[in-house]
Amino acid sequence: MGKLVTEMLKGTLEGIVLAVLGGRPAYGYEITAWLRDQGFSDIAEGTVYALLVRIEQRGLVDVRKVPSEKGPPRKVYSLNAQGQAYLEEFWRTWSFLAERLEQLREEGPQT
Amino acid sequence: MTAESGEPKSRYLHYLEILTGSLDEKKRWRQYKARVKQLPDNYRVAVEAMERYLMHFGPADGAGAMTMYEDLADLFEQGAADGTPIRDLFGDDPIEFAEAFMANYPLGQYRARERARFTSAVARAAGDDTPRRDRTDR
Repeated sequence: MGKLVTEMLKGTLEGIVLAVLGGRPAYGYEITAWLRDQGFSDIAEGTVYALLVRIEQRGLVDVRKVPSEKGPPRKVYSLNAQGQAYLEEFWRTWSFLAERLEQLREEGPQT
Repeated sequence: MTAESGEPKSRYLHYLEILTGSLDEKKRWRQYKARVKQLPDNYRVAVEAMERYLMHFGPADGAGAMTMYEDLADLFEQGAADGTPIRDLFGDDPIEFAEAFMANYPLGQYRARERARFTSAVARAAGDDTPRRDRTDR
């Protein structure tokens, strides 16, 4: 995956992860695995973890600790009401951005 | 994973900690180091490398710093248990991961001081009446 997509992903990864969690609760590794399946093969698990720490600190997700067969208990993240509201704002902002960029591509800069 | 006691500190402990620094933090630090020691060699080496970087550029002490190191230990214990390759944890650019991780916690003293100085210098130069808040609330 090229440098450009990595750069673009930076600003949107938070929304992507919240959208994934909107579907169903998941733990860190599942989210990274899903992203890799979708073709974001360069994404570091640590980067996703850092993001999960952040959205937890900001109160966008609820966290439940689930015992695991091997290793420490897993943190399972689920989207809460505040996260849902934030996700809706993310999609609105995304639509705005996508629309404007599409317009720029189709019509060039309008004065 | 924090072991903070909710009990109020005795007057003795309060004065002792003025001399020694927070005993609770020292305990948390020792617990973190003990957890790192239990990791498989290559994970331990990787965590210690990151710890060195964080010591330089992140918060070196305080409860926020301890939370940061505990979160770091959580990640690598989980990674080691899952057998996640070190490269998959760090990605191609370890700096990028370290910086994204560090941004979740209080700024290190050095960065906080220089950011405050820079922000207020620009505010003075711009002729602002009151300097804006810096980004230490991140």
